[in-house]
Parts: sequence; structure tokens; C-alpha cells
Amino acid sequence: MTEAIASPSLASPFSLIAEVTHRCPLHCLYCSNPIELQRAQDELSTEDWKRIFAQAASLGILHLHLTGGEPLARKDLPELISSARESGLYVNMITSGVGLTEERLATLAEAGLEHLQLSFQDIDEESANHIAGARAHAIKLALVPVLKKFSLAFTINLVVHRMNLDRLEAFIALAEALDPDRLEIAHVQYYGWALKNRSLLMPTEEQVHRSLPIVEAAKQRLKGRIHVEAVFPDYFGSFPKACVGGWGRQMMLVNPVGDVLPCHSAAVIPDLRFDNVREHDLAWIWRSSAAFERFRGDTWMSETCLACPRKERDFGGCRCQAFMLTGDADAIDPVCTYSPHHGLLQTLRIPATDILPIWRDQA
Amino acid sequence: MDINSIPRLASGCRLHPTEGVLLIPEGTLKLTGPSRDILTLVDGSHSIAAIADDLLRQYPEADADEVRRDVLGLLQRMEQRGVVRE
Repeated sequence: MTEAIASPSLASPFSLIAEVTHRCPLHCLYCSNPIELQRAQDELSTEDWKRIFAQAASLGILHLHLTGGEPLARKDLPELISSARESGLYVNMITSGVGLTEERLATLAEAGLEHLQLSFQDIDEESANHIAGARAHAIKLALVPVLKKFSLAFTINLVVHRMNLDRLEAFIALAEALDPDRLEIAHVQYYGWALKNRSLLMPTEEQVHRSLPIVEAAKQRLKGRIHVEAVFPDYFGSFPKACVGGWGRQMMLVNPVGDVLPCHSAAVIPDLRFDNVREHDLAWIWRSSAAFERFRGDTWMSETCLACPRKERDFGGCRCQAFMLTGDADAIDPVCTYSPHHGLLQTLRIPATDILPIWRDQA
Repeated sequence: MDINSIPRLASGCRLHPTEGVLLIPEGTLKLTGPSRDILTLVDGSHSIAAIADDLLRQYPEADADEVRRDVLGLLQRMEQRGVVRE
């Protein structure tokens, strides 16, 4: 008999992010997906995903987030949704809406889809399509009245950055007119393609400060009608975010080929080895995968973090960001005012004046 | 929303079949005390007054006005949060 390696007090994760494919009709220049996208022929099968969903539910996971890429690129999506519901998971899908007809939506709703998230890139078609790298804006607008015919929760995500943040009031008004149940106003997170395009996307400090009262006013005005959530960009803060609720504490991400990651961008950290759902079940991976164990608890932390009471709140911030900005995944998150690298962020916040190339996935 | 309103759960919100939580988009609300019993009757057919009456049958020693006020207060807070609708 083998003994459990991890602490027996380890709590269950809350959510499973299923990147069912990396195929996507959009090529958003803020995409946080890895630069090295997984190929279609290597994707997990329907049976693999069904097994994962059953394992997730028995591990205590409540929420499933179907994402990608574009999950609609999977022909077996209704089957994936119904098997997830049969396992007992709450099913959310994050989609571009491209290719989502009323007929197709009806099959997804019937299969048990409960929540759908649609992001918008800007207020006007030309700019929105430029940011998305596809003619998607009009398709998204046309989809909204169709969505209303189904009893799904509907969230609009406004992804904000330097190119659209000055239009935030009008952007919120556009969302309000589309009347979602929820509205998320999310600053770009600088991973993957977004990191490559950071100089184009990083808002100025002034833009960020102007946007805060606008978000607050929208929250108050829409209370009881549209639930508003906003994600403040941590580059402008003095303390790190509790990234993914703490490493290996709340969520698991399965990528299209079955590698299980503690967060979206963990693959940027060079010495991490991910276990695969083809070789282990999720419960084993949650408890014993070295990648999940790597930054659990506080043994990896610097003296500064160990002595800091905030470690109970931010769990040491974002490991990927620490690595990307300092080259050391164990370093204090540079967002933290106590980091010797905190000065780096001041430099990164200065907008570039050159004409910059745009990087996007060309697949 | 008042005592005669007929509340229902918002789209995409449902009670977990076994745990004391309400599953909502992007999260869960932990249900403590009698709030699970209350939400079981939030089905688009019971008025808030009827839900309070049902609760009073389960807790006959409770003060009726207080129970009505508490049920209404809970559902109004959940309406503000967007998980219960009229």
C-alpha cells in the first residue's frame, strides 16, 4: 500500500478549467493562451473528457469552465456538457459566439449548459475586430437576442486595456443595453500573447485611475439588475493578487492534450513537469503532482514573505509573473512593494512611444 | 420585492443536490440555517408569505413577524446580488 504524499488536510479544489481545444476563430492580441498552442490531432477524446468530469465531481469540484480556444470548435460539445451535468458539475462556457446558431445553442442548452460568457473587445466594430483579429463584433451583437431565448445565465466580459480604456463609460453603456445577468470588467492579464503585446496594451496610470470611479458608479447604478465584477490590474497595485486563489488551493486546469496545470500560464515556469490525465486520475494529480506541490504552503517563500501576515491572503502572489519579470519563479511577486524588483513595474507602466509590432496567433 | 412577491431563482442558479450551497455563475453561496429550506421553495410558484408560513410550520415556536421579516430580508439581499428574481 502506498501512503499519501500530500497533507491529508488538503482541501478539494472548487473549479476545473477545461481547455477543450486551442483552435479559435479569433486571434485576440490580448489572448493569455500559451504561445505554443496544442495541435488539434493531439486533443483529448470525448471519452477522456467524460472520465475527467466524473473524476472532478468525485474530487469535490463544483464548477466546470469550458474554454479554449473556442469550445465550439469541438463537435462533441453537447455530449461533453451532458456528461459533465450527469457527473454533477455546474457548466459554464466561455465563447466568442462565432459559429453559435440558435439551433446549436438549443442543443447546448438542452444538454445542460447553465452559464455562457461572451466577451466584447470595444464599442465600435472596426476597433473591436482589429483587437480580436477577426470580424466577430457584429456576430456577437447579433447573438445576444438569441441567447435571451434560453434560460441561461449570461455574462458579458469587457476586456480593457490602453486601446479602449478611455471609452469605458460608453463600453459599459453598450453592455448595459445588451442586458446581461453579469458584467465583468477585466483588465488584460499579461501572460501569453498579451505579454508579447504588453507595450501596446498596458494602460497608463492616469487611465487606470480615471477608470476606477466609472466602475464604482456602474456597480452602484446597476445593483440588483446586473451584477458587476471588476478586476483591477495588479501592475498598478502595491500588493500582489491571490493569483488563482493560491497555487494548488482552488483550481485545476486541463489543457487540450490532458496536461494538468495549477494555472493558465504555469507552463512558462521552466522546471515544472505536468502530469497527464492519460496516466493519472485528477485526485492523484491534485494530491501528488509535483507541479501542484511546488508552490503550495509557504516552504518555498522568501524570508520577507514568510514573516509577512499578508501571505495568508495573497499566498505569495503570482509565480508566473515573478518568473516572467525576474527570471526566478521563487522570487517575491514584483507587484509587492517589498520586492527588490518592484521598481521594474514603474518602468513597465511607462507607455512605449514607438510604433510597435502586433503579435498574434496566426493558426 | 415585498411579502406578496413570488420569487424564483435567476437563470443559471440552482441548489446543489446534496451540499448546502447555491450554485451561481462563477461561484457558490453557502447556505446556513434555514436558508436552504427557504430556497427550496423559491420556485416561481410560492409567495414570500407562503414560504414564511411553511417555515413557521417547521418552527412553530418562532415569532411569525420575525420569520416573515427574515425571509423577506434574505430574499431581498439575494435579489440585490442577482441570484433571485421576482
